[in-house]
Amino acid sequence: MALIELDHLIKIYNTTSIPVKAVNDVSLSIEPGEFTAIVGPSGSGKTTLLNLMGGLDVPTSGRVIIDGTDISTLKANQLIEFRLHHIGFVFQAYNLIPVFTALENVEFIMLLQGVDKQKRRERATQLLKAVGLEDKIHSFPSQLSGGQQQRVAVARALASHPSFVLADEPTANLDSHTAENLLDIMAQLNRRFNMTFVFSTHDPRVIRRAKRVITLQDGQVISDQPQE
Amino acid sequence: MLLTLAWRNVWRNKKRSLIIILAIAFGLWGGLMAGAIMMGWGESMVTTAIDRDLGHVQIHSPGFRLEQELTNQLPGGFQILQRVRALPQVQSACGHVVLEGMASSATSNFGVQIYGIVPEEEAHVTIIHQKLITGSYFREQTRNPAVIGAKLAERLGVKLHSRLVLGFQGLNGELVYLAVRVVGIYKTESTYFDESHLFLRQSDLFRVIGVRPFIHEITIRARHSRLVPALLQTLRQQYPDLDVASWKEIAPEIAYMAASMDSFTYLFLAIILFALLFGITNTMLMAVVERFRELGVLLAVGMTRVRIFVMILLETILLSLTGGLAGIIMGVGTLAVVGQYGLDLSAFESSLASFGASAILYPYLPLEMYVVLTIMILLTALVGAALPAWKAVHIQPAQATRIV
Repeated sequence: MALIELDHLIKIYNTTSIPVKAVNDVSLSIEPGEFTAIVGPSGSGKTTLLNLMGGLDVPTSGRVIIDGTDISTLKANQLIEFRLHHIGFVFQAYNLIPVFTALENVEFIMLLQGVDKQKRRERATQLLKAVGLEDKIHSFPSQLSGGQQQRVAVARALASHPSFVLADEPTANLDSHTAENLLDIMAQLNRRFNMTFVFSTHDPRVIRRAKRVITLQDGQVISDQPQE
Repeated sequence: MLLTLAWRNVWRNKKRSLIIILAIAFGLWGGLMAGAIMMGWGESMVTTAIDRDLGHVQIHSPGFRLEQELTNQLPGGFQILQRVRALPQVQSACGHVVLEGMASSATSNFGVQIYGIVPEEEAHVTIIHQKLITGSYFREQTRNPAVIGAKLAERLGVKLHSRLVLGFQGLNGELVYLAVRVVGIYKTESTYFDESHLFLRQSDLFRVIGVRPFIHEITIRARHSRLVPALLQTLRQQYPDLDVASWKEIAPEIAYMAASMDSFTYLFLAIILFALLFGITNTMLMAVVERFRELGVLLAVGMTRVRIFVMILLETILLSLTGGLAGIIMGVGTLAVVGQYGLDLSAFESSLASFGASAILYPYLPLEMYVVLTIMILLTALVGAALPAWKAVHIQPAQATRIV
């Protein structure tokens, strides 16, 4: 069974004034363990598609099925709960909680899940070690570089044992060296733990590493190719 | 962790948080000081009235307080006085003859209440003897000595050793005249009292009226104000046919004014908190708007809207309580000093005298007021958090996370 299934997905904004079809009848599926990049020019609908996959937005029509659950029928509170347990997010702008340390940022997700303190601490420490930040666990985001913050964001995304991670332009604010390091880590996590990553990107470094590239234009899939 | 997050969020923008905290602190400090002065004023009115003439409890013949007739004497008054002095709750007691009359000098006259006292006993119950500004308290060996108030002396245009003629109704309704000599002039906190109360020796009155000794009133000072209810109950049981009344019943206007100070203080604080509410709401609204993206991410990663609401609520409560606590500490500290040494309001002495309050006030606040104030701050915070929290929980994560 596919991990993510999109079935004739349509998303229209501004339905009452000038409607914009951000996603126009997209159907695709993503299997466990994929390292997939969704590419396209600005305004092609990449972020909207990612938001629909992640339950951050509700489709105008069509279905989004994650792990067998049609999330397009879930209520707002149910969606929040679903995201907490099934989906990890990495955003372009890191979006760490600035008043929490790296460790506390990663622990926070598990706190929301109700994991006890000791287990939270252990897992958060392990994850930060996995992303190469074992010596920065007590640092605040303001004390970390952009790349380090994004690595904390990746650790946070993995903290809840998600089914997959959605990363929206994760390398956009990073220099080449840092971006390569980050992608190395994500690729390693994909290989070691079979963690599914879906990227929205127009960064060629990401596209180069992806095993599958889905190209969007004007809200439609115009190409869906595996890569070596 | 939510509490930790809320507390750290309060200090994200230190300058902004400090401004509102200081606003709350100084606003409440001002309110507490104003309230403490009002409470001190109320307390002063009560204390001076009790010390000056009311005592804690008075006993009269029924109907005497409504019509002060010479014939409406306290039956067995002296025996009752002896028994009252033996009660464990009683510190001291004295008897008064009370007459309404007219005091006349060479230049003027004025209606007065004439009190026949036993000076040695009176000095244990009231403090008129401590309020003399000139002369003595019946120590002079002179015929028909009188101690009068400074305001009365001013009205009648008399001074120490001046002669006055007192006129009052006798036993059979006849007019009785008594020439007295001013041996002492007193000044209390109440100008009204000073111009309307005149003191003579009981023995001089009995001699002039030509009656066996009697008293109209027993004034009692309890060992402590806490003992007054028990004392009242005991006396009412022992003397069910007499009018046994506490100072609150004799001077309800003073009791009302003193009790109102509580209400005025709470009202004052409520007004201050209402004004501060807008500042708190504004500060929290700015904090939420600044963090739209962050709050959107929190929603995205799985923080429920309820938790977001609680977080904003906690931040507001912590911000308000920090300012409130600072204000309370400042208030307690100030009152510890001012309450001990007193606040000299001599500049307003004449205004305060018209209310019977001392020019030296000892501001204070009862402990329960701080508890109530803390609850009021919490409620203000809850109301202040409502709009920002509402805004926070209505963030759409898809849009918020796109904000750069």
